[in-house]
Amino acid sequence: MPAVDERPRVIERTLLDSPWVTVVWNDPVNLMSYVSYVFRSYFGFTRQEAERLMLQVHNEGKAVVASGTREEMERHVEAMHDFGLWASLTKSDA
Amino acid sequence: MRPFRADGDAYTAKFSPEEASILSELAEQIAELVRTGGPDDPAIARLFPDAYPDDAEASAEFRRFTAEDLGDRKVRNAGIILGTLGAVAEGTRPKRVSLSADEAQAWLRGLGDIRLSLASRLGITEEGMPQDAPPGLAELYDWLSFVQDSLVRAVDR
Repeated sequence: MPAVDERPRVIERTLLDSPWVTVVWNDPVNLMSYVSYVFRSYFGFTRQEAERLMLQVHNEGKAVVASGTREEMERHVEAMHDFGLWASLTKSDA
Repeated sequence: MRPFRADGDAYTAKFSPEEASILSELAEQIAELVRTGGPDDPAIARLFPDAYPDDAEASAEFRRFTAEDLGDRKVRNAGIILGTLGAVAEGTRPKRVSLSADEAQAWLRGLGDIRLSLASRLGITEEGMPQDAPPGLAELYDWLSFVQDSLVRAVDR
């Protein structure tokens, strides 16, 4: 059981915040094979789903690849930057 | 050069001393760029992009918490490329290199960072390579793409 003083913050975030999303943007440098590999290896997508999201990034300029709390999305964005992908986070209703 | 392929648990390729020297030089440069480059440098801006496109303050905050670790990892990746290639660059004949799974991850990211920075210097956009790009550098960029793609395909099984 978490310490009592930690709970209100968690509850507040759950009820008042809309979810956040991680967005990966198209860039002219990263190889399609690499982007697809990153989606599959990091997020655990199937090969088919990773390929679909990679093509969405490539053809539409961006794709939402994850949703959840702001903290989780910041971790994903940092991981994408580590891979060299152009990623950002935003509120899902923005 | 023989491109990367999976070989048991390892990933192997063959580089000539010239190729190894060039790639080592680029790895040294990317490490120096990451350590010393300012935020106004377009290559640095691309390696450490805004996490919040419409919120400069939140982006700066994110950078404060992540950029140091991220930069350390990028420098370490470059160092692993240098470590792999040292013996090849100093030799006189093409040599086989062998990467562990962890080293392959460092190579994938390091090659990506080198290509991103080179693309930023060359002005590569969605339209592709600019007409006036120096031919030598344009060829180098294509070669790096070929090397990285071969490693992605070897690792992505």
